[in-house]
Amino acid sequence: MKNRLKDLRTERNWTQADLAQHVSVSRQTINAIEKGKFDPSLPLAFRLAKLFNLKIEEVFVDDQ
Amino acid sequence: MQRQNQTGGDQDAIKRAARLALWTLAWVASLALARFGPSLLWDSQPVASWAAVATNLAVGIGWIVAHARYLRGIDELQRKIMQDALAVTLGVGWVGGFAYVVADAADLIARDPNIGVFPALLAVIYMIATVVGTIRYR
Repeated sequence: MKNRLKDLRTERNWTQADLAQHVSVSRQTINAIEKGKFDPSLPLAFRLAKLFNLKIEEVFVDDQ
Repeated sequence: MQRQNQTGGDQDAIKRAARLALWTLAWVASLALARFGPSLLWDSQPVASWAAVATNLAVGIGWIVAHARYLRGIDELQRKIMQDALAVTLGVGWVGGFAYVVADAADLIARDPNIGVFPALLAVIYMIATVVGTIRYR
């Protein structure tokens, strides 16, 4: 699953650690999501979308 | 506020990990007591030996609870890494254990099995699988 997490994060000048703090996960989790190595759970995906005031499908795109 | 909450979250995570480490050490110590106590400390007295085994079981239950709490407290990627590592450990233990039993039944193994090696081997496999999982998602 592709996502715009890195773009959205860098637009706000946040580090991965900053974003991780906002959604209460580890920096490693944010890094793995950004690189497409790990698909977040639905609750985490909603938390991330809500943080950026976007719909979930505006952050995450199904590439299959 | 966010920073304070996060710091609190980090402290909770450290506390959970420290609690798990303490329970692990306590279990290893109680296991060593039950294993070596009869020959080194109380000259094979049954009451003392049973007490040591009961203590080991009780501490073991505490360790299991601490491990479950630790798994509930970590985030979803870390939990996935741990679950994958547990799956590998269970699989290797199961497959390797039954292969050993079959080989032993067919008289292919000359030496008697040392059951004490088995949990230690599983612990090593679990640690390796955890490290591999952590590197994989880095």
